[in-house]
Amino acid sequence: MSGANLQPGLHRPSTPAAIVRAWAPVLGCLVLAIVMQLVVGPLLVRMGQDFAAKLLLDIGTNAILAVSLTMVNGFTGQFSIGHAAFMAVGGYVAAGITYYGSYRLFGSPDLAAGMLSTSTGAGSGLFTKGDGLFLGSIFAGGLVAAGCGYLVGLPSLRLKGDYLAIVTLGFGEIVRVLIQTQTTDTLYDPDTIAQTPAWELPKYLGGALGFSGLPSYTSLFWAWLFAALTILVAYRIKASTYGRAFLSIREDEIASEAMGVDTTRYKVRAFTISAFFAGCAGALFAHTVGVQLNAGELGFAKSFDIIIMVVLGGMGSISGAFFAAIILTILPELLRNVAEYRMVAYATALILMMLVRPEGLLGVREIWEKRTWRAIARIGRRGTP
Amino acid sequence: MSDPVLHASGVCKSFGGLKAVQGFGVSLQGGDLKGLIGPNGAGKTTVFNLLTGVYTPDEGKITLAGRSIAGIRPSRIAAQGMARTFQNIRLFGELSVLDNVKLARHVRVKHGMWASVLRTPASYAEEAEIDAKARELLALFDLADRAEEQGKNLPYGDQRRLEIARALATNPKVLLLDEPAAGMNPQEKKELRDLIRRVRDEFKTAILLIEHDMGLVMEICERITVLDYGKTIAEGTPQEIQANPKVIEAYLGTGDTGEEGDQKPEAARA
Amino acid sequence: MTEKLIQTLMDGLAVGSLYALIALGYTMVYGILKFINFAHSDVFVLGAWMSYTVALCAGWPDGQPTHMATWVLLLLVGIAVAGGLVAGFTYWRRKRIAPAAYTLWLVSGWGWVAVLLVLLARLLHQNGFDIIAGGVILVCSMLTCGVVGFALERLAYKPLRNAPRLNVLITAIGVSLFLQNLGQLDWMFGTRPQGMPQLLPDKVLFNFAGTPGANPGEWLVQPVRVRLLDVIAAGTSIALMVGLDRLVFHSKLGRAMRAVSFSERNAALMGIPVDKVVSFTFVLGAMLAAAAGFLYSQKYPGLGQTAAAVWVLLGLKAFVAAVVGGIGNIRGAMLGGLLIGLAEMFVKAYQSPSVVDIYVFGILIAVLLVRPGGLLGKATVEKV
Repeated sequence: MSGANLQPGLHRPSTPAAIVRAWAPVLGCLVLAIVMQLVVGPLLVRMGQDFAAKLLLDIGTNAILAVSLTMVNGFTGQFSIGHAAFMAVGGYVAAGITYYGSYRLFGSPDLAAGMLSTSTGAGSGLFTKGDGLFLGSIFAGGLVAAGCGYLVGLPSLRLKGDYLAIVTLGFGEIVRVLIQTQTTDTLYDPDTIAQTPAWELPKYLGGALGFSGLPSYTSLFWAWLFAALTILVAYRIKASTYGRAFLSIREDEIASEAMGVDTTRYKVRAFTISAFFAGCAGALFAHTVGVQLNAGELGFAKSFDIIIMVVLGGMGSISGAFFAAIILTILPELLRNVAEYRMVAYATALILMMLVRPEGLLGVREIWEKRTWRAIARIGRRGTP
Repeated sequence: MSDPVLHASGVCKSFGGLKAVQGFGVSLQGGDLKGLIGPNGAGKTTVFNLLTGVYTPDEGKITLAGRSIAGIRPSRIAAQGMARTFQNIRLFGELSVLDNVKLARHVRVKHGMWASVLRTPASYAEEAEIDAKARELLALFDLADRAEEQGKNLPYGDQRRLEIARALATNPKVLLLDEPAAGMNPQEKKELRDLIRRVRDEFKTAILLIEHDMGLVMEICERITVLDYGKTIAEGTPQEIQANPKVIEAYLGTGDTGEEGDQKPEAARA
Repeated sequence: MTEKLIQTLMDGLAVGSLYALIALGYTMVYGILKFINFAHSDVFVLGAWMSYTVALCAGWPDGQPTHMATWVLLLLVGIAVAGGLVAGFTYWRRKRIAPAAYTLWLVSGWGWVAVLLVLLARLLHQNGFDIIAGGVILVCSMLTCGVVGFALERLAYKPLRNAPRLNVLITAIGVSLFLQNLGQLDWMFGTRPQGMPQLLPDKVLFNFAGTPGANPGEWLVQPVRVRLLDVIAAGTSIALMVGLDRLVFHSKLGRAMRAVSFSERNAALMGIPVDKVVSFTFVLGAMLAAAAGFLYSQKYPGLGQTAAAVWVLLGLKAFVAAVVGGIGNIRGAMLGGLLIGLAEMFVKAYQSPSVVDIYVFGILIAVLLVRPGGLLGKATVEKV
C-alpha cells in the first residue's frame, strides 16, 4: 500500500509536489478516455471492427459495476446481491433527465452531442450542451442511486452476512417491481411534454415495456472516463487509512470496532459509494447504442453477473475485478456458438473457484503489488499454488 | 491524588437469569498495572466486554478520563482511549502485520475520506505519520522484520504480541489485556512480562490484565481483583490475595479446606 | 364482502402451504449447516419439471416428450457402472470396496426405483386410476429430487463444510445458476414453456354463501368456491409437514438432526454420523421441495423455462417465508409460509397482482429490522 513507501521525511511534503501527485492521475484518466474515444475507437472502426469498439464500451461499463461492487463485497466483506438495482435507479434517473430534458431544452430527443459523445467521434465541436446535460444526468443518477445505497446500507446496523444479502436482494426486487408497475406510456409529443409539469414527467418511463428512444450519448470517452475514475477512487480508498478500515471490517468486525472503527458507519459508507458508481454505470448503460432500458433486465440475473466478476477476480482486488470484467465481457462473444452453455460454464467456474481457490484469482491483492508476483513466481517454481 | 483514568463502580450484567457480573468496581490511574483473576467462567471477559462497550451494563457507572462511557458503542470508547486484546486472537489475518498496526491508528486520523481520495497534502502527511508510528511500534515489539507478512502467518506468540502492539497503536489511556500469555512457553512468558512492564513505563498507560498464569500475575501486578461467579471476592496486593482464604476457596472449592490456608492459588492452576 | 374475504383466506392458505413446504427445505439446511441454500428453489423447479417429464413418460398425451427419459436411464446405468468400476478398482488395489461405490450404487438403485415407479404410473394411467397414478408420479418426482439434493450436498457443499460462510453462499448461488441453466439445455427441459397435464382432477367441490342470480350459474355475489385441487394440495402439504414435525421432534433421527444443528462438532463427538444426518437433511428438503413443485405445477400448469424469473421469484418468496418465520426454525417456516401466502393473496385480491412482490419483500425487511432473527427465531450474537 502507498503509505508503506513513504519516507518518514515526508512529514511535510512540499505542497506543489503533493498537488501534482494528487491530480496527475485524474488528468491521466481524462487522457485515457480521450485516447480511447479519438484514437482507439476510430482505429477499430477503420479496421472494420465496429463490434470490438462496442465491446470496448461494454467493458468500460462493466468495469465500473465490478469495481464498485468490490467496494462492498470485497473491501467490507458485506454481501450485496442487489447491485443491479442501483444500476437501474441510476439508469432511469439519468434517462428521464436526458430524454425529457432534451425535449425541454433542445426541442427533440435527438443527440445534441459533441465529438466526445458520439460513437463515431464525429459530433459538432468537442463539448456541447448535450454533453453537459448528459454529464449532469450521470451525476444525478449516481447521486440518487447513492441515496438508495445509503438506505440499503442502514439495515446493516442490525443485520449481518446472509441477512443483509437478503435485504439487498429484496431491495433490488422492490426497485424492479416499482419501475415495472408504472404506466407503460412514454411521452413523445413535444407539445405534451412542454405542457406536462416537470414533477409528473418521472411517471412516464416506459414501465414494463422499457424506456425506448433514449439518445445514445454513451461513447468510449464517457465509459472509460468513468471506469478510470472509479478505479482511481477505489484504489485511493483501498490504499488509504480508510481502506484499511474497510478491510478490517471484513477481516474481523469485532476487533475492528474495538480498534475504534465505527463499523456501521463504514458499512453504510461503502454501500453509498458503491451505489453511486453503480448508478453512474446505469446511466452510461441506459444511453448505450442499441440498449433499451428495461428494469426487467436489471434484476438479480444482472446482479449475479456482476457478483461473478467480483468473485472470480478476487474478493477485494480492484485489478482482479477489472480483469474479470474484461474477460467476462468478451467471453460471451467468443462463446456465441455455444451460448446456451455459457451460464452453465460460469456456474461451474464459480463452484470450482470456491472449491479450489475461494479467495478468487487475485484474492485481496492487486496486480501491481510485489507480493502478487512473488506468489505467481512461487506457482511457477513449484507447479502448484 | 489525581483523578482515576478509568473508574467503574457497581457494574452489573445479567444474561437471562445468569448474573454474569455483579457490582464490579475498578479504579485505575495512568501507569497502574492491575490483575483480574478468577476461576473459569467467573466473568472476567464479560467485565472486559462491559468496559469496552461490547455489552451494555445493566447498572453501574463507568467513566474513562472523567467521561461516562456506559452504553456507548465500542468504537467511540476506543476513540476515547480504551484498547484491548482478545482471549481468542482477533487479528486481521489477511492484512499485513504493518497494516494491522496502521489500522489501529485510524481512530486518530483527522482527515476525511474525501481528503484521502483527493490525496490532499494533509492526507499525505498523516499517512506518513501513521506509517512512521506503526513501524516504531513494530520495532518495539520485535516484529519489524515481519512487517510485510500476513497476520495469519505469524507464529502464535508473535500474534499475541502483534495484538498488543495493535492495541497500543490507538494511543490508549487504558489497555485491557485478555490472557496475553495463554499458550506461550516459559521463555515467551518471560519476554511478555518484560514487555508489559516496558509498555506501562514508556506509554504511561493504565493496564488491566486477565491472566491464568498466577506466576506472571503475582510478579507484575501491583494490585489484583479476584472474581468468582460474577462477584468481586477479593481485592488487594498479590501478597494479600495469596493469603486470602476466600480466594483459595474459590479456586480449590469449599469443603474441609480449612487446613489448606497456606496453599497458594498458584497451585490451583489448570 | 365476507365471501371475498373467506375466498382470499382459503386461497392464501392453499398457496401458503406450498410456500411452507419449500421454506422447510431452506430452514432445515440453515438450521444444520448455517447457510442459505440458494439452490433450493431450483430443486423445487426441478420437482415441477420432473413431474412433467415423468407424466409424459407415463403416457399422458399432451405436450412434447423431452429427451430427459433416455438421459436419465443412461445416467442411471452409467452411475451403476461407475459404482462397479470404483468397487472393482478399489478391491483390486486395496482388497476392500470404497464407500463411494456403495454411494453410487445407492444413487443408481434409487433411480431404478424411480424408473419402476414410472412404469407403475403408466400402468395405472392406462387402466384409468389417474389419481393414484398422480400420487405415484409425486413420489417418483420426490425420489428423483432427493437424489439430486443428495448429490448437490456431496459434490458442492460437503467440501466446504468448514469454509467461511460467504464462500458457501457463493457456491450456493453457483449451484443455483448451474441448475437453472442446465435445465434450459435442449437435452434437458429446453427453453420452451410447457403445459403440465392435469394429473389430479380439479373441480369445484362445493360453493357456499354468495348471492345467486336469476339464471343458474350466474352470481350476483361470487360464492366461496372450494376446489378439489386446493384441498388436495393443502392436504398433502399439511400431511407432509405433520410428518416432518413428527420426524424432527419425535424420532431418533430427528434428535440427531437437532443435535447436529446445535453443534456439529459435539454431535460428532457423541457418535452421531454427522455426514449422514446432513445428507438426510438435504434429501428431505429436496423431497419436500419436489412435492411442492408437483403440487404447484398442478395448480398452475404453465411451466416456464427453468431460469424463468417467475420461478426464481417463487423460490425467493419461499425463502422470504423461511426468514420471516425465523430461519432454522421448522415451525417458523410453516408459519412464515402461510403468512407470505396469505399476504400475497390478499394483496392480489384487494390491490393489484403486480405489487405483490413489494409487499412480500417489504414484510421481509420490516420483520428483519424489528426482529432480526425472524418471528420465531432467535437472534444470534457472536461471542467475543
